[in-house]
Amino acid sequence: MAENPDLEGLMRRALAGDKAAYTELLRETARLLRPYFSKRLSFESEVDDLLQETLISIHKARHTYDGHRPYKPWVYAIAKFRLQDFLRVHYADQLRHAQELSGQESDQQDDVTVTGISYESISAEVEKLPEKQAAIVRLLHHDGYTAREVAEKLGMSESAVKVAAHRAYKILRQTLER
Amino acid sequence: MKDMDKLLAELAEDAASVRPAPHPYWLGLKLAAAGLAYLALLLAASGFRADLAAAASHPLYLAELTVLALIFFATALSGALLAFPDLHQKRMLALAPAGMFALLWLVILLAWQADHPPAPLPVHSYQCTLSIAGVALPPAMWTLLALRRYASTHYYWTGGVAVLSAFSLGALWLRLHEVNDSIRHVIEWHYLPMIAAGMLGVWLGKLLLRW
Repeated sequence: MAENPDLEGLMRRALAGDKAAYTELLRETARLLRPYFSKRLSFESEVDDLLQETLISIHKARHTYDGHRPYKPWVYAIAKFRLQDFLRVHYADQLRHAQELSGQESDQQDDVTVTGISYESISAEVEKLPEKQAAIVRLLHHDGYTAREVAEKLGMSESAVKVAAHRAYKILRQTLER
Repeated sequence: MKDMDKLLAELAEDAASVRPAPHPYWLGLKLAAAGLAYLALLLAASGFRADLAAAASHPLYLAELTVLALIFFATALSGALLAFPDLHQKRMLALAPAGMFALLWLVILLAWQADHPPAPLPVHSYQCTLSIAGVALPPAMWTLLALRRYASTHYYWTGGVAVLSAFSLGALWLRLHEVNDSIRHVIEWHYLPMIAAGMLGVWLGKLLLRW
């Protein structure tokens, strides 16, 4: 592969329907954007998600590029746009979790990370929980991580982990009482 | 999320040849031409103000009309540029409406200072705002729908500029149609509502131009 591929030329060929050129262009674009997102996001999984979302956006918006002006400003404009969207949703989620937590504070008399039942005895029920909740319960009670460590591991806030754990316990309690 | 290679293969598979969007100058020109044709139809239906010849002898009235027309052209062009993710790499040109609005406020300021003794206020008030809004509705809609076909990364601004473009057309029509020389009335019921409409356009942009 060339050191500095002619991205404008590749895009011109892609717009004319050249699939090979388009694949190469998208691959080069992903290579270009990965460090841009990595610098701004903490988790590799988020970088991957955002990168793929940006490539889809580039695909949708490719008719707005004519191949006669520099490609990079066009592609970075889309990348920045998607990054801002992502961060907006991310922070809105965090805010919502925080609000939910403060709403539930009065209900939470027990420590959400401590239960009287062993993990092994309910592991089958845990696996039936939604994926994220199951992972949190597993990490807390099987692997012995603290809520803060789970939060770091899953890229969530500590309060969001506690809320998810609390919900998981609620579901488990209902299931086990049946 | 899918595996990256799988995604690239899927996107490449869907990569039939596409027709590039028109150049924003051409798009802006088309929007402006549609707006002017609409204005001509409106004036043909409603007629010009009866004292147009006398009014046209006032330089500030002519300046106001000129600046309104410039705002209309600048917003049409800016909307077209803003519809492209990278503003077609002509960022300064996309900001042209700001300069035109500054010019409008300057003309208004001069007209305000020259308004001695103050021209009598017309008997009507909010009816002007309603007329402008009614006239501006079709161009606002067609402009927003036209810009929706592209990929704006500044959808708030694009929406605001599109609605301002339509309202400037409405304001231009009313200044050519209504017999009125009160600058106070014009500020209060023509131009301030136009700014409010621009803010509504920001919200419409979020609603209609997000992709």
